[in-house]
Amino acid sequence: MSSLALRSLRHRPRAAVATFLAVLLGTLLIGSFATLAESSSGAPAPDDGTLVILGAVVGGWGSVIVLFSVASTVGITATQRATEIGLLRTIGATPRQARRLIVRESGAIAACAAVLGALAASATGPLLFELVQSGGLVSERTQYDAGPASVAGAGLLVLVVSALAAAMAARRATRGPAGTLVRESGAEQARMRWWRIAIALVLIGYGVVMAVITVTVTAHDDDPYAAMATSGSSSILVGVGLAVLAPVLLRWGARPVRLLAGTSATAHLASYNTARRAHLLSGVLAPVVVLTSAALGTLMLVDIDGRTLPGGNPDSDTINLLNNVVVGMLSLFAAIMVVNAFVATVAHRRDELHRLRLLGATPRQVRGSVVAEAGVVAAIGVVVGTVAALATIVPFSVARHEGVVPDGGLWLAPAVVAAVVALTLASARGAMRGAAEVGAGETAR
Amino acid sequence: MSPTALEVHDLTRTYGSGDRAVTALAGIDLAFARGTFTAVMGPSGSGKSTFLSCAAGLDRPTGGRVLVGGTDVTEWDEDRRTRLRRERIGFVFQGFHLLPYLTAAQNVALPSRLAGKRVDWERVRCLLDRVGLAERAHHLPGSLSGGQQQRVAIARALLTAPDVLLADEPTGALDSATARQVLGVLRGSVADLGQTVVMVTHDPVAASYADEVVFLVDGRVAGRMAGPTADAVAGQLAHLDELVSA
Repeated sequence: MSSLALRSLRHRPRAAVATFLAVLLGTLLIGSFATLAESSSGAPAPDDGTLVILGAVVGGWGSVIVLFSVASTVGITATQRATEIGLLRTIGATPRQARRLIVRESGAIAACAAVLGALAASATGPLLFELVQSGGLVSERTQYDAGPASVAGAGLLVLVVSALAAAMAARRATRGPAGTLVRESGAEQARMRWWRIAIALVLIGYGVVMAVITVTVTAHDDDPYAAMATSGSSSILVGVGLAVLAPVLLRWGARPVRLLAGTSATAHLASYNTARRAHLLSGVLAPVVVLTSAALGTLMLVDIDGRTLPGGNPDSDTINLLNNVVVGMLSLFAAIMVVNAFVATVAHRRDELHRLRLLGATPRQVRGSVVAEAGVVAAIGVVVGTVAALATIVPFSVARHEGVVPDGGLWLAPAVVAAVVALTLASARGAMRGAAEVGAGETAR
Repeated sequence: MSPTALEVHDLTRTYGSGDRAVTALAGIDLAFARGTFTAVMGPSGSGKSTFLSCAAGLDRPTGGRVLVGGTDVTEWDEDRRTRLRRERIGFVFQGFHLLPYLTAAQNVALPSRLAGKRVDWERVRCLLDRVGLAERAHHLPGSLSGGQQQRVAIARALLTAPDVLLADEPTGALDSATARQVLGVLRGSVADLGQTVVMVTHDPVAASYADEVVFLVDGRVAGRMAGPTADAVAGQLAHLDELVSA
């Protein structure tokens, strides 16, 4: 199985790029911040705490994000290969063997990426330390003091997380009897499984409860950052919760589009594809929702904080740095996921898009229908993501005495929305350009 | 209106160049009169599929001319050929080629949509009724059998009342009972609607539904047979080499 895995990898390097990038960047980020934590051991009193917090927070969030993005990228490649896996199973591979193939393939990619990421992190670690020191977060007396342990630890952590993610994706891909897999993935909607709904409700519920606690309890705390601690992650949690429900959101969201479609062939095709094959596009919608909610929620949070606590207090710089790093990390990974998901769905639908050409659709109509789908996804994504962001913005704004609507920074909402929509549409266009020599010719046979 | 639905004159198609050039079509002259049902047969590699691709404007011939409904379309660019496929040619594929997320009726209406025209739902209903699937109009392809999917595809190909309906092994993926239904539908469109049908097939039984069979061997027309029966076609196929040497 291992040699088969490697051979299959060499055969399709493109599918591996997204997983490779996610693991590489994940290790690089977590590793760089881990060197800060390691440097804390010899540091004098206030500095050691700061360094540990920086390392731990980025490490913790980073692991969650890497888990999600690797699960998503491996999941997408595994689904794309449903036919091939079905074929392996019909000629006698057990589900366990098929799972091992997927896990080892992604394991090989992740190992290369993690080693490279760790090497890079040992170079960027000192640079980060200098940055933190020149920003005044730690005093001049503290020295950078990290060996290979921290970056290696970060690499291992990312590897374990990726293996877990790959195992989850592989299990999903090999569920059910072998025969049913060798089919074109049609319009049949898999029903949402109960545990998926349960996870979504827990995440959304947790976010809402934290919002309520922020308004009723921590708003009155003496520490101005108590309210941030309870409300800061709400937008991300609610966003992830809603992202888990992506197929349902797509089915609902495509309805109004159909009413607007009129006689346009592209809008007609786009609306039915989004609604009836929501499982394909939900891989794109999920990161769009999380990207919007995390970016908008955290940026507004930092903005409100800066306005209501102008002088700051000793922790302000660290907290702002952390907020910015987390939001940057989330945006980066979500962007990778959006781009990858589009490349994967377009590759998956190649035959079908070609079919449209044979029936007399112009290349423009085919491209148009995919970009229109991206438009539907982006529209639903930013609306849902903005709602999720409110879980952070409203309670924190109330806690800092600005009322339900913050006093400033409202321009952030249209800015984030515009950026997310642009990213989604651009990745759809890019994916079409990469995958579709939409000439109707040769493949007719 | 031109009396022939489709004509090809001295049609040639070569793939590659130099020593490795492969000749798929070596000069074919054929004319298909309106309201006729013709089967094109021949062994693998005889050029059947290339002929169909060139006729449908999917592939550009190396030499010769293609006339659809009396109009020379050989030199048309990709855009005009796309419109040609949409408006004047109906195509039925071995693999059905329905869009999985559109219902039967929406699939039939698709060529109108792509052309940016208003969908004539009455006509869509009539066509689905003609292929015996009026009851299934709102089903997705995933819940239809292979034979039913192919009949939806035929209804779709008939929507624009094309000059010619080209069918590439339309029964290749079907069992013999459903294949008979599909062939009956094709035959019916010729008899009742005056449709012109050109069908590439391997199957002598399928060919026996046609008015005439054209045999291709090595990219040339090797023979013809009017009023074919399955037995006669099978016998001829077994002795194609004699046709060539003759």
